[in-house]
Amino acid sequence: MKQSPQLKKAEEAMKPGVITGEGFLGKDKRHLIDILIEDDAEVSRSGLSHDIIAEKMKFFKEEGIKGEGLPVCVGDNFEVIVESVRGKLACPFGEPGLISKNNIGVINTKIKQEIHFTDFHIHMIEEHGFYQGKGSPYRISPKELIEILEIEPNE
Amino acid sequence: MYLQWIELVYSVLVVCGISTVLAILMVIADATIGNYGKKKLIVNNDKEFEVEGGNTVLTTLKEQGIFIPSACGGRGSCGLCKLKIDEGGGDYLPTELSWITKEEQKDNIRLCCQLKMKNDLKVTVPDELLEIKEYEVKVDKIVDLTHDIKCITFVFQGDDKMEFKAGQFVQLEVPEYELCEETVYRAYSISSVPSENKRFQLQIKYVSNGICTTYVHKHMQEGEIIKMNGPYGDFYLTDTDSELIFMAVGSGMAPIKSILMDMLERGINRKATFLFGAKNTDDLFLVDELKSLEKKLPDFKFVPIISRPEESKDWNGETGRLSEILPKYLKKPENTEAYLCAGERVIISYKQKLMELGIPENKIFYDSFG
Ligand SMILES: Cc1cc2nc3c(=O)[nH]c(=O)nc-3n(C[C@H](O)[C@H](O)[C@H](O)COP(=O)(O)OP(=O)(O)OC[C@H]3O[C@@H](n4cnc5c(N)ncnc54)[C@H](O)[C@@H]3O)c2cc1C
Ligand code: FES
Ligand SMILES: [Zn+2]
Repeated sequence: MKQSPQLKKAEEAMKPGVITGEGFLGKDKRHLIDILIEDDAEVSRSGLSHDIIAEKMKFFKEEGIKGEGLPVCVGDNFEVIVESVRGKLACPFGEPGLISKNNIGVINTKIKQEIHFTDFHIHMIEEHGFYQGKGSPYRISPKELIEILEIEPNE
Repeated sequence: MYLQWIELVYSVLVVCGISTVLAILMVIADATIGNYGKKKLIVNNDKEFEVEGGNTVLTTLKEQGIFIPSACGGRGSCGLCKLKIDEGGGDYLPTELSWITKEEQKDNIRLCCQLKMKNDLKVTVPDELLEIKEYEVKVDKIVDLTHDIKCITFVFQGDDKMEFKAGQFVQLEVPEYELCEETVYRAYSISSVPSENKRFQLQIKYVSNGICTTYVHKHMQEGEIIKMNGPYGDFYLTDTDSELIFMAVGSGMAPIKSILMDMLERGINRKATFLFGAKNTDDLFLVDELKSLEKKLPDFKFVPIISRPEESKDWNGETGRLSEILPKYLKKPENTEAYLCAGERVIISYKQKLMELGIPENKIFYDSFG
């Protein structure tokens, strides 16, 4: 699909060496618009929205902060740890300001799987519906988030 | 529907983003057509250098052998490279403003990886930064402290050695590898004693997908040579006789261990308590070493605390969060200094608790990892 000049600019900012050495698209050769469409469709098929996913990520972050740098139990089957990491990243979509990289780790003890995300991921998903390109080391797919964080449509 | 919305938001952003776009265009124009010729850089009203105009102040100072802390390779994303520019700085750039407070603006504090040498410039570099050097060091030993924290011993080459104060940190340069296409720097507190100035140790915790920690945990080999620079930081013991409370979890132990070993060597016998937290007994480390300090430092107590005791192991030490356990060990808050080493969020919560318990804010010192 043809993308707007704004998305084109964001795509440029996502290339390696502009904001981060690695960039945000990995080996994904598709245009940003196509990446957004595919992930958006996956989220819609699950009966969810990017907002609902971001809300659940924020919920785990807030619970995790209570652990003061050590893991805490959340609900019956989650263990969460929030660790501050120095450094902030500019958003490739161009709004001013910087977003921190605090690392939030969530283990789902029922299915024995864990996931790590940062404030930066939460911002990208909430504001831009962007989960990063396939093959980007920092990509988290909607499917992984939905499964491991047990995100339900009616939340 | 969502995509139409995306497009709409971007249309709005065109308008709001014009200034950002202009700023970016200016940066590109600067990089391509800027030819500023030679400029004068005067450091501390004392040393004068003739330098090539157009480069950032950070790079220019580095070329003159002056190292300013930087953890992001000069991308304006770590906020470490602040310096006072006395003359010639011009207006603030949009890329600086997220890091510079209003007070700092009054003092002409600038982010020197963003500011370029377009004019002659006068800059104040704190004395301790003038001592900083870059070294090549050998990775001598890599030891697992826990499943996700490693202790790395580095040794200086040839006649090199580094004088530092207990509590300071260094910056490691991460070479290019699969997670980074260009070198980056990250800060790590020294955990060994200053008296051993031909070597130093770091305690590095793995951060999922982190550039430096993935390198250290999955690629670094004993015998390899890497670059580092230092020492940095002002997290060290004051010269008073107040009582001391130290608080840290995980690799936050590093600078505190260095301070304690240094107290031992220098015969400082201030009453001191170290509250050290971990998730469970498997995540506690160097407990015997720190416990043995209790016998050598007469007024020292080491308190390991676990947040989640395992049923299978008998643990008769403290259990809970550090801020919950703190009141039991803080006997004279008005005469105590607190030294904290943790991420930003954790520091906020420790600090709040310490102040609630009566420690004045100016007696709370911290080295924030975040
Ligand atoms: C003064 C000081 C002393 C310190 N001392 C110590 C110490 O003694 N021991 C210690 O272990 N640490 C210490 N630290 C922390 C250390 O400097 C690093 O911040 C930490 O090790 C993480 O570095 P990293 O390169 O591995 O992670 P980074 O590469 O900085 O990544 C951090 C997080 O951001 C995420 N991320 C990065 N890029 C993206 C992207 N494009 N999209 C989404 N997510 C992204 C990563 O997945 C990761 O979770 C100290 C920090 C300071 C400031
Ligand atoms: S070097 Fe990181 S902000 Fe300047
Ligand atoms: Zn954004």
